[in-house]
Amino acid sequence: MKKKVLSVLLASAMVMSMAACGSKEEAPAANNNESSAAAPAASSEAAPAASSEAAPAEYQLTEPIKVVVNGTVNYVKEDSGKEEFIAALNEAVSEYMGYDVTFDFTQLDHSGYVDAVGRLFAGGDYPDVMVMSADMFKQYAPTGLLWDMSEAYDNAEFHARMTLPAINENLKDENGALYGFASGYGNGCITYVKQSWLDAVGMKAEDIKTYDDFYNMLTAFTTGDPDGNGVDGDTYGFISAGLLGNEAPFINYTSAFWQDSYPAILQGEDGVWYDGFQTDATKQALLRLQKAYADGVIDPESYTFGTKAAREKYWSADQTGSAGVFEYWAGSWTENIYNNLEKNGVITDLVSLPPIAEVGAYLNREAPVWVIIDDGDGDNARENAIFKAFCESMLDGDKIQTLWTYGVEDVHWSLKAESITSGSGEKEKTVEYKEGEFHFRNTFADPTQLFKKNNIDNALVVSPLTNGYSDSSDMVDAANKFFTENCVDAPVSPASETLTNESGNIHDAKMAAISAVVIEGGDVDAAMETYVNTVGATVEQILSELNG
Amino acid sequence: MFEKKKIITSTGVEVRKKPLGLRIWTNRGYYVMFLPVAIFVLILNYWPLLGVRFAFYNYKPVGEPVFNGFENFTKLFATDAFWVAFKNTLELSIMKLLITTATAVIVSIFLNEMGNLLAKKALQTIIYLPHFMSWAVVAAVASLFLSPSVTGMVNGMLRDWGILGEADKNIYFLANKDMWRPIFYIINIWKETGWGTIIFLATLSGINPELYEAADIDGATRFQKMRFITMPALANTILTVLILNLAKVLNMFESVFVLYNNAVFEVADVISTYIYRQTFAVALPNYGYSTAVGLFRSLVGCLLFVICNWLSKKVRGRGIV
Repeated sequence: MKKKVLSVLLASAMVMSMAACGSKEEAPAANNNESSAAAPAASSEAAPAASSEAAPAEYQLTEPIKVVVNGTVNYVKEDSGKEEFIAALNEAVSEYMGYDVTFDFTQLDHSGYVDAVGRLFAGGDYPDVMVMSADMFKQYAPTGLLWDMSEAYDNAEFHARMTLPAINENLKDENGALYGFASGYGNGCITYVKQSWLDAVGMKAEDIKTYDDFYNMLTAFTTGDPDGNGVDGDTYGFISAGLLGNEAPFINYTSAFWQDSYPAILQGEDGVWYDGFQTDATKQALLRLQKAYADGVIDPESYTFGTKAAREKYWSADQTGSAGVFEYWAGSWTENIYNNLEKNGVITDLVSLPPIAEVGAYLNREAPVWVIIDDGDGDNARENAIFKAFCESMLDGDKIQTLWTYGVEDVHWSLKAESITSGSGEKEKTVEYKEGEFHFRNTFADPTQLFKKNNIDNALVVSPLTNGYSDSSDMVDAANKFFTENCVDAPVSPASETLTNESGNIHDAKMAAISAVVIEGGDVDAAMETYVNTVGATVEQILSELNG
Repeated sequence: MFEKKKIITSTGVEVRKKPLGLRIWTNRGYYVMFLPVAIFVLILNYWPLLGVRFAFYNYKPVGEPVFNGFENFTKLFATDAFWVAFKNTLELSIMKLLITTATAVIVSIFLNEMGNLLAKKALQTIIYLPHFMSWAVVAAVASLFLSPSVTGMVNGMLRDWGILGEADKNIYFLANKDMWRPIFYIINIWKETGWGTIIFLATLSGINPELYEAADIDGATRFQKMRFITMPALANTILTVLILNLAKVLNMFESVFVLYNNAVFEVADVISTYIYRQTFAVALPNYGYSTAVGLFRSLVGCLLFVICNWLSKKVRGRGIV
């Protein structure tokens, strides 16, 4: 009897545990039902009512707007005033829309964003709005998943105030459909050089005009003692986050070596698409990289480094093993790199090197875009409401745009009369601000640093703020000016079904060729032959789709 | 047509089998206890198997799945990268299994021979510990140690010892096709040997001490005792461990994923990492293709399992299921 009682008790315990686990597992599904599956259902139920009783524009969003972002929205990161930002955004957008609107943000891993979105979609969890890189956008645009926002965009309130209308006009397809909305232009990478290292090896930035000059500088950084620790040869000339990126414009971290080569499928001046990887220019670029590796002027781990690892090594407190030259994003990143060097006690100015003659100009990448997921119910009322609440309000020129640009008043920035101290050690400085003077406040994570921007860069935005608030950083302004004066638009990314299916395999084949030539010091023609044997037929198929 | 098999006891009494319903009622306690387990298994192990059908579909994150017959398998068998991954999976798994088992046996024997109990326990604890470290941490530590940069510890040591000369470049261990596999095996030995010794030490502690005493009387040396008593006693356990693990050789993922990179795909890419890249490293993956790869892997896994079961019956006299 005791055994039976015990068995019943044990079984009950297991059932309870299963129920507990079950409820845990069911939570996201329940959310899904409410927010993604049920939301369209709700809209489809509500839509006829809306269309029969009221105009579609008056559709009211009753569920939170689900937004998926990468690392480019700074204030939805933990310890960055996330709660304050979302609360302020909810309030401001509710005011803008005339009824309560709330946002539910999901921030995915920045460097693994494509993977993370794939996992999200694999789980059937579609957001309402999400950010996509140009590359990703090109692949999703023809699928029918994205909502054509062209009409909403053309009628948007900000349209009349736009200073860079061409950015979004260029995103429209041949039928005039607009599946993604760019709030700013793309930005790109520039070459940073540590001034103190230049001084240590007796070189001047203004003398670096050609690849030979550039290479001599890298060699001097590698063989000399630019960090001043008394040891020659324990530093590198160049460090990068990979030798070839996996999204457009691919070469922006190593443009000095790729120069006139663009190792991706691109369109020639005659309108014909071709594979830029199978060109002599690419072979020459690989040979340049091979020599640089053999000479040890590139940190060898650049091949496997991601952006975080490369950045941190560049500004590390111990400069042994660091590098003097780093190609990275312009604009606010200029200040970010400088501040991190300073924070780690690396006393140096940061030189933005004009593109060397062989590079000609830095590449302005195709802008990342906000897309709205089409719920597929055939009614645009809900999507129109989401466009207005998210995209249109984002560029209202005032309150909401300020939130997206600088964050929350008296959290991230302020107009109050106060003194703000930033920097540390010798670089510590205190600035007294008068009442009404716009200024950033100290970050929560590191009180020696100031907040910079949230998502929109005021210097890059397609429709500027009208309230006059401006980031007072001369360094960022100068960096943006420097980039815009020295950039050209990156080649347009292609869109083809085979490319969509095979882009991963093609990238693997390119990396295998790069590895064979650069890391192993192999023959470039043999590596190219292997590349052609591996994915040549696939590339031909893509080209026939594009040129057909 | 089918006659019921009679059950007769050793005393010749025929046992009448009770009806199923009655047997269930009699053992209802056990059945109640088993019910949650059955539900768990059905939901978590069998329900997901329904997804196998997508191996025959073109199934992308966008739109409805479209049946495409064996197209995914045709593509799979025509893809070189898949066969490279398949070959690597078998080679890496089997080599890893053999090496880690051999190391675990050797370490177990040495531990067993240690007279100082305190030192033995301390050493056992030290070699167990790496097993509890996550692969991500192990990979981060290994990358630091093996860095080809001037700050890399192993390269620094090779340079200090004169193995790398002035003119030699630092070795990029984790991006070198010739070095990656040895490094992978060494890291696996370091991480898993301690854990692997548990089962062998248990076997060794079960050897009758009288055998050793008798050997001592006969004047056997320590090596002879190891050779003629310890090793034969361990042989069956070694075979059992090998056979049981052979059925799981295709499940390799994490240890490779955290240590490999594009430069060594040729020697390091395994089926699981290949599936991962096909599924998550492209913007619009075809889940149907990934499922087809997974299904093929499962079928090969099943085949290996059947072989292992047969081997187990041969060696141990009973199967592994």
